[in-house]
Amino acid sequence: MIRSLLIGCIGAFGGTVGFGFMLNAPRRVVLPSSLTAVLGYLLYDLLFRFAGQSLIFSYFFATVVISVICEIAARVMRMPSTIFLLSALVPLVPGYSFYCAMLALVENDGAAAASHGLMAVQIVAAIAVGAAVTSVAFRSVSGYLRRARG
Amino acid sequence: MEHLSGGADVALEIDLLCRAAQLILENGGETYRVEETALRMAKGFGLSGVSIAALPTSIFVGVGDRVRIVRIRRRGTNTSRLERTNDVSRHVERGEMSAAEADAALRQIAADPGASQLTLIFACGLAAASFSLLFGGGLGVFAVTFVLGMLVQAVQPLFAKMEMGVLFGNFTGGLLTAVLAQSIASVIPYGSVNAAIVGGIMPLLSGLLMTTAMRDTMYGDLISGITRVVEALLLAASVALGVYVGLKLVAMMGGALL
Repeated sequence: MIRSLLIGCIGAFGGTVGFGFMLNAPRRVVLPSSLTAVLGYLLYDLLFRFAGQSLIFSYFFATVVISVICEIAARVMRMPSTIFLLSALVPLVPGYSFYCAMLALVENDGAAAASHGLMAVQIVAAIAVGAAVTSVAFRSVSGYLRRARG
Repeated sequence: MEHLSGGADVALEIDLLCRAAQLILENGGETYRVEETALRMAKGFGLSGVSIAALPTSIFVGVGDRVRIVRIRRRGTNTSRLERTNDVSRHVERGEMSAAEADAALRQIAADPGASQLTLIFACGLAAASFSLLFGGGLGVFAVTFVLGMLVQAVQPLFAKMEMGVLFGNFTGGLLTAVLAQSIASVIPYGSVNAAIVGGIMPLLSGLLMTTAMRDTMYGDLISGITRVVEALLLAASVALGVYVGLKLVAMMGGALL
């Protein structure tokens, strides 16, 4: 279990660093967002594979944790949170499921296409809701603080 | 409203709004962020009666009785540009940057070519190889996928200027990965061919578009959301088609093309 988690961490870290450069992320963002990505991936892996939680919940929870860190990092480093989020979500985003769905379509296997496609949509929905909930919460809190101060 | 009749500088200010909005949209920003950035700059310039609507393919800006329409043809992700454009808009909002300074800054952002092809090739190899680990590859798969990822990125500039270039680039990337992963395996058995193929195409299939699509949808930008979903599906389909053709080709040739 430890070995598989460790390999997962290395993979997630390398993948996010690589993507960071491919997305032209500002240099000082690459390391923090890659570490956030590793943490998120680890959390998802633990919840889904080892704690037996549902797919949706695992993705949702991991995304919420990632988004909270990204929102905080964005405020500390004074950058839009999207920049952190785009890199940090890379290991979770289900590009693979979409590819499987499309490959099944090309191979004329409708049932497999439907099941992979549905899974991809579920994951994307969980990630998007997780990120949106956090972002809205942060916006309303910081708006409230600004009003309270000023 | 006397500000509106003031000819040249209002024209420049509107032009700046459009260019900032275009930079955000072309480089992977969400639709609400495009509108937010333009409105922030409008506030800094003291323009009134500004309305803006953005779609992934076009931006409509109206200020008083002037209307500008910007067509977006190129869409990618470059978060450095997002960050710097956002920075300019905030400086303008706080009145720390004049229109002329913002003009120069936006010009500089648009002209910055970003990472060199060499960096991109290396980054793509690293991303591909790392993802192969997540799909159950070992050290052998890691090494093979590193090379595959670098090759996939190395051929992308061939398609950059082409019409529908991204689709062809993805198709070729999928094809190359599938053919080479199997051919190399027939010479040196390095481990799971499937992990190598999936890893090799991962840099093409980020799925980030899909998350942006969902976020757009949730912020109420329904048309942007749907358009991005279509784009993401098309891109994934072109990769899958490339892989499929590659698998079929190799099967027809009896296991290896090289």
